[in-house]
Amino acid sequence: MSKKIGLYIYTGDGIGEAVDVDKLLELATSEMSVAVAKKHEDLYGPEGLAMIKADVESEELNAIAVLGLSFRYDFEGLKFPGVYVERVGIRELVAWSKKVKEDAEDPEKEKEHIQELAEDYVRMAVTRCQKAELPTPDKLEEASEAVLVIGGGISGLSAALEAADAGHKVLLVEKEPQLGGFAAKVRKQVPVGPSYDHLVDPVVNDLIEKVQNNPNIDVRTSTEVARTAGAPGQFRISLKEAGTKSEWDAPVPLTEEEKLDENGNELSAEEQKKKYDEKNEGRHDYMEVDPNAEIVGAIVLASGWKPYEPGEGEFEHLAWGNPNVVTNVQFEELAKAGKIKRPSDGKEVKSVAFVMSPGGKEDDADFPYAGAVTSLVALKQAKYVREDNPEDGKAFVFYQHMRTPGQYEYFYKGLQNDPGIFLTKGAVTKVEAAGDGLNVTVEDTILGEDINVDVDMVVLATGMVPTTKFEPVVNFAYRQGPAFRDLDLFGGYCDSNFICFPYETRRTGVYAAGGVRRTMTIEEAMEDATGAALKAIQSVVAAEEGHAVHPRTWDFDYPDFYFQRCTQCKRCTEECPFGALDDDEKGTPKPNPTRCRRCGTCMGACPERIIGFKDYNIDIVGSMIKAIEVPDDDDDKLRMICFACENDAYPALEMAAKNGHTWSPLVRIIPVRCLGSVNVSWIKDAMSSGLDGALLLGCRYGDDYQCHFVKGSELANRRMDNVAESLNSLGMEPERVKLREIAIDEYDKLPQIIDEFVEEVLGMGPNPFKGW
Amino acid sequence: MAETKKIQPDLSFIRGLMEAGGDTVNRCYQCATCSVVCPLSTEERAFPRKEMLWAQWGLASKIAGDADVWLCHQCGDCSAYCPRDAKPGDVLGAIRLNAIKYYAEPKALADLLSNKAGVIGTVVAAFVVWYIVAFLWSLHTGEGFPFPEGTVAYHKILTFVPIDIVVLPIVGLIVWAGYKGVTAFWNDIAKASGVESYTGTAPKPAIGPLFSKYVVPAVQEILAHTRFEKCGETKERAKGHKLLLWSFIMLFIVTTTVFIINDIIFVPLLHKHFTPMPLWNPIKIFANVAAVMLIVGIWMIFQMRKQKTAEGVLQSSEQDWILIWLIFAVGITGVLAELLRLMNIAGLAYPIYILHLATVVTLFLAVPYSKFAHLIYRTTAYVYQRYEDDMRQGKAGFGMEKDVLPPGPPEGESTDEEKSEESKE
Repeated sequence: MSKKIGLYIYTGDGIGEAVDVDKLLELATSEMSVAVAKKHEDLYGPEGLAMIKADVESEELNAIAVLGLSFRYDFEGLKFPGVYVERVGIRELVAWSKKVKEDAEDPEKEKEHIQELAEDYVRMAVTRCQKAELPTPDKLEEASEAVLVIGGGISGLSAALEAADAGHKVLLVEKEPQLGGFAAKVRKQVPVGPSYDHLVDPVVNDLIEKVQNNPNIDVRTSTEVARTAGAPGQFRISLKEAGTKSEWDAPVPLTEEEKLDENGNELSAEEQKKKYDEKNEGRHDYMEVDPNAEIVGAIVLASGWKPYEPGEGEFEHLAWGNPNVVTNVQFEELAKAGKIKRPSDGKEVKSVAFVMSPGGKEDDADFPYAGAVTSLVALKQAKYVREDNPEDGKAFVFYQHMRTPGQYEYFYKGLQNDPGIFLTKGAVTKVEAAGDGLNVTVEDTILGEDINVDVDMVVLATGMVPTTKFEPVVNFAYRQGPAFRDLDLFGGYCDSNFICFPYETRRTGVYAAGGVRRTMTIEEAMEDATGAALKAIQSVVAAEEGHAVHPRTWDFDYPDFYFQRCTQCKRCTEECPFGALDDDEKGTPKPNPTRCRRCGTCMGACPERIIGFKDYNIDIVGSMIKAIEVPDDDDDKLRMICFACENDAYPALEMAAKNGHTWSPLVRIIPVRCLGSVNVSWIKDAMSSGLDGALLLGCRYGDDYQCHFVKGSELANRRMDNVAESLNSLGMEPERVKLREIAIDEYDKLPQIIDEFVEEVLGMGPNPFKGW
Repeated sequence: MAETKKIQPDLSFIRGLMEAGGDTVNRCYQCATCSVVCPLSTEERAFPRKEMLWAQWGLASKIAGDADVWLCHQCGDCSAYCPRDAKPGDVLGAIRLNAIKYYAEPKALADLLSNKAGVIGTVVAAFVVWYIVAFLWSLHTGEGFPFPEGTVAYHKILTFVPIDIVVLPIVGLIVWAGYKGVTAFWNDIAKASGVESYTGTAPKPAIGPLFSKYVVPAVQEILAHTRFEKCGETKERAKGHKLLLWSFIMLFIVTTTVFIINDIIFVPLLHKHFTPMPLWNPIKIFANVAAVMLIVGIWMIFQMRKQKTAEGVLQSSEQDWILIWLIFAVGITGVLAELLRLMNIAGLAYPIYILHLATVVTLFLAVPYSKFAHLIYRTTAYVYQRYEDDMRQGKAGFGMEKDVLPPGPPEGESTDEEKSEESKE
């Protein structure tokens, strides 16, 4: 479709002073041949918007470029049906972040640099307008609004009730024959509301009753999910009796080791297929459709946790193996059964030591998978000892970390008031049998000395291991396998554990709540379930309306594949962080738009450059790069491209500009959805069109990753390693392409990062291929 | 591995403490704000944080060996600043009351004198005993009973002879109990400091230096109320207390003087009574001034405690009020007895006089067995503190070399060098 483009430049906020706007308009109409080019000092005010509206209508414009405020500001007045709108923040990228120094040797030359920068932004904006198309939303015809809740414990019950109360049908699946989960197996529990200072009776029974009486909730006990196929809005759930095998069990792909023969060489495709079929004997292919499957729109995963069970020989110094040394869960069972009796001889227990950290003096960490909950449970169980023996019961709590966050401080205060509960920080170095009981040695206590006490029992405050550590639970029939792809960072938790996205797993439409997500109390789990239920509902709505889920909820676009040129290299299917792409027998990708979060990682991965979005693809960005004017006769006027991640790096640039930081005018910035979407062909485009360097700004990766799409910046870094090799082979300095990680709060360091890069490139001199 | 200490928390000790006014002890979470804001706590003798923890853990013997609780005057600054409202000042007060009972011998007397009914019972019993003695004495003297004829003069009903017969054994008991308590206390605190003498007993100075180097300066400090007046929140209490202490000393001087003049010189040698003295007699004037000071002092203390208790700055236990009322009763009955004698109202004067004697005897008894015992234990702690300071610096003599004691107490962090410099200042 040929474009009739209008270009508008805002002259307020210092833009009019920083650049010669009239020259920019002149450039737009002559060189870039736009139909209309205008400026306005109050472009975003009623008058300016009315001007644009009038032009759009009278000139029948179908694309407009608006240069002024950042695209990150939302303006209803800039939305016109059928009109593509490109917005470039030259206020931040030019006017605020570029200053002619007062003591500059040649201020005219510096002004020239700034003017040329603005000119390139005009060229890039118009180029994008020429190439970009408006997205057509992919709306699911028959989206289901039902929510599947996996797990009938405190989290699952709460999530089911929340979703049902919001008007959604709920399918609640519980593995055990009865509802309630662990919350129903406690004698008493930590309070769920004010006052927080005492133990309360379990609250779960009330929830069970409500769930059973709710007509919107379909409860299936003794049931498991065999496979989850499909995508948000259209998940197909095959159920089976708990503990049994089913033909619809999700197939498991070969592991990396299984793909190798005895000599460590990769097996041929046929051999792999054979091995795969053997492994999944009796199971339907993952792409096969179960006609009897239940259809749901979204899933809340509340499968909870399993108690950490120390192995034989583990915690030997704590006398694990002695019948009177138990875990907190075993102690809870004893307490639930009645007055606590010692396992070895059935004697009534009068004194108990609770050990919170197993490491002795060397390591003050709590038990694996412990958290604030284990502190609270130790306090709770200490109270059991006192309830059973109000006169002479003694409970010792030895901790390295007493964690009672928020309102739970009142719980701590309340229990601390019991004269029979003794608390001290200290390193428990030894537990040994003494008489018919146990003797506990604690060093470095706050009592100022090393102490030991005689007790009847010792309780280890062991942790809560997420069920996803042991089994896939949701059993996805996805190309990437039945389990959540593990980041190897969070010990098997399914949660993405990225602080900005609670409840999010690495599978769109599946939201985790409760103990499967992190250790939490019953109160926290109930609140957590509410959040996850809401996320599930949001994802159903997104599927119905055809837009992405968080963090690109405004985005109606989705990736388009030009399959004729696909070489079945499988990079996109393997690198997609959310397992959105399935494939057929040959390996041709099968997109699932509602699983997609529109990060563009597939686009960055594709060596054939056949994946793209309507307004963001290889050609658009490549053309924008080529639109940059490269002077080939001036060594001072080098040109560098910067791909800045829209999630953190680009906002950080704007923050830097807003806070008065400035950086070199030689760098042209292109915002990208994620560094994972940066295709190496763009680097080639930049180098071949004579640009002198390319800088990639993305999120931190590694243990404390901040990438909104999990692995984008890490993937980009790996791809850039290959780019560096190619540059080297061409006789170019690999340092011309750099990737830097940046956190949003480090905005003040960004200008320095950019300027250092520019200095380095200036030091290398112009791109040797310039002018070719 | 370092030596570990077997801990056996004494639940009944904790309960006793909570009942004696330390019910807030378990709220403490060891932030040590108390030790920092306390105007009396020093780096070398930091309290009351550690006492709070020991109390929570029911470490009765540890607390028994802690002299520092007696360096506390319950200013209430710690309680005012405590973020958990654990009221360390009150807990230490309760600890002291428990310590008094712990060192009391026999314990039954401590139990008796630590509650209102017991004290009133004791006063009533003493009142009855005095009347029985007076009745028996009247058989000997032939004076009228219960109201001797003629102008009111108290020697008509009881002379010093029967009085001394009753009072001296009681004084003996008090001295014996006080000595027992103080020596046991000294042994505990000296042992807790980690030193033993060559004979394996707790270290103590010889009598001479004990008085010259330690008791005299300690008493001087007490008389001047130097520390008590450092208190922040309840500073005013020190004034009343000082007045009261001085009145007791003055009354002691009067009693001793009159004992010598009347009981030793006048009656046995001159065969006549020195008392009652005329109002112009300097001894009488001195005594009356002291009596007024006593009543004013105890009234100030009473008002102050009432106000601070209402404000929540400090808690007051039954024992606090008992002692105040007992001293008040002694003062009021004494003054009334004098006034009624001057007005010559025999019908009231004699019973009031007997009541006065009953309250005095009860107050005497209270010295080692009730809150009043702070008199002896706090003084001992003051003395001991000076002695221990000297021991730490190797100045105490008696073979106590400089490095006999560990360089610092458990809580202090200053080095030896710093300490010796401080002592020079």
